[in-house]
Amino acid sequence: MNMSDTVALHFYWCSEPVPFRAGETIAAALQRAGRTDVGPAVAGLHGRYFCGIGTCQACLVSIDGASPVEACLTLAQEGMHLAPALLSQLARTPGADA
Amino acid sequence: MTHADVLVIGAGPAGLAAVAELARLGLTSLLVEQRDQVGGAIYRRHAGNGNHVLLLPEHHRRRRDGLMQAYTQAQERVTALTASVFIGVDRDGRFLIDNRRLGRVQSVRSKAVILAVGTVERVLPREGWELPGVVSAGGMQVQFKETGQTPKGKILLAGSGPLLLALAAQLAAAGNPPLAVLERAQPLASAWWQGRAVFNVLRSWPHVQEAALYGRELWRARVPYLTGWQVQSVQTVADGLRIDARHSSGLARQYAVQHLALHDGVLPNMTGLPGAAQSADNCIVYAGDCREVLGADAAIDDGSRAAQQVARFLGQRCDSTPLDQAIAAAQRTQAALAQLFQAAPVAPTANTVVCRCEGLRRSDFDRLQVAGSAHELRLVGRFAMGACQGRFCAHTVSALAHEYGVDFDPAALNGDVPRWPLRPVSLAALAAYSELESVE
Repeated sequence: MNMSDTVALHFYWCSEPVPFRAGETIAAALQRAGRTDVGPAVAGLHGRYFCGIGTCQACLVSIDGASPVEACLTLAQEGMHLAPALLSQLARTPGADA
Repeated sequence: MTHADVLVIGAGPAGLAAVAELARLGLTSLLVEQRDQVGGAIYRRHAGNGNHVLLLPEHHRRRRDGLMQAYTQAQERVTALTASVFIGVDRDGRFLIDNRRLGRVQSVRSKAVILAVGTVERVLPREGWELPGVVSAGGMQVQFKETGQTPKGKILLAGSGPLLLALAAQLAAAGNPPLAVLERAQPLASAWWQGRAVFNVLRSWPHVQEAALYGRELWRARVPYLTGWQVQSVQTVADGLRIDARHSSGLARQYAVQHLALHDGVLPNMTGLPGAAQSADNCIVYAGDCREVLGADAAIDDGSRAAQQVARFLGQRCDSTPLDQAIAAAQRTQAALAQLFQAAPVAPTANTVVCRCEGLRRSDFDRLQVAGSAHELRLVGRFAMGACQGRFCAHTVSALAHEYGVDFDPAALNGDVPRWPLRPVSLAALAAYSELESVE
């Protein structure tokens, strides 16, 4: 195991601890932890890291229950509680509002 | 504290070159950057310890190091606002910035503005492109630069353009070569009849060296470069993604991977931004890839040139002829590369998600038979109305609309009302709004 993997920095993704390195974005840490799905999106789709530079807006997550931020731009911080940006009951299913 | 002559938005190669050149000309600037550090996606630094194997052509490394040195020397004349997202321009011409460090929206008025906000990667919709595990090639590359680690598991790269080769070689050099690169175009075959394009690429020695560097690495790692192949569909399976690919001859092939990176070229990131303008008391200049996609090295030249244009507006004398010539050479190379990588577009199938933000599929579009205008397509159909504001879907929607005889011009999406780059801004940050001291 690599030394840098043993550094004890963690945030929580849906209350599960995810390790990260200082200076790393939330998206990078989630990717290294093998989590590509960042929760429900409209029409039954799923949030995910995609463009990496804040333009696609597909990786939004909520920090400590606050308004969403782009996981690809935001640095991970010790003890953050992260959750999907969209509450699952708000994620529309196709045709539900047609 | 924030008094500055020029507002520069974006701290990638063009923005950094602009502030460095402005400083050299004795002008001060306020530099706004959405990330916590400067460099942009192209010069993203490795976060963490240990070695990072990043295959990079020597000329690229030299220009990066030169730029960073120039930026360091410019420090006294640059105020950098990092972790600060540009969110729009209000009707009075104030540039609004979500300063996420302070948790506050701030506004800046400036006579002279340089916009250097880079590119949007083009990714044509294929069935399943919206699934987690599918990323843009640029997205995979920037994350690889940052973590110093290749994605774990099997990788497939597909789409079109030279970036796929660069990324494949970088992944291979770092120890996880992709299973293959599926290139939609036939760049090698078209080289036979596009003699002039080949000649124009060969005239650029740095590009020849770069191609040789990547080619050597792909050869060493035995990465198949399959031309004329494209991804038909992606499905989520138990241990990753199943990808169906098809050759232009009709041959089909399947891949089982954990990661798929797609790329179909790059476009300037201009959605929702004010147009370039110059009047007696106001000057807005675009610089780098958001003006014209010419790559990182040309973006440095273009940033310096934009700084000189602004300096002339502010009454200085300077000559941009050498930069004009360098940029013209980059245009020639890019035009030639575009010719070699010309390919027929991917037609979305009925089940393909066309507009990811709104979760709309091709079948939703076909069902919208009442939509007789671009306006209706947006207001009734919700196409190109989501968070990305058509950055990823507008060109596809335009092609579909064309089939129905409707003119849907991606460039005209803004209309008379500016559609700002939509970004999440907290109510708390809006409530804490303050004006930064004017930039004059």
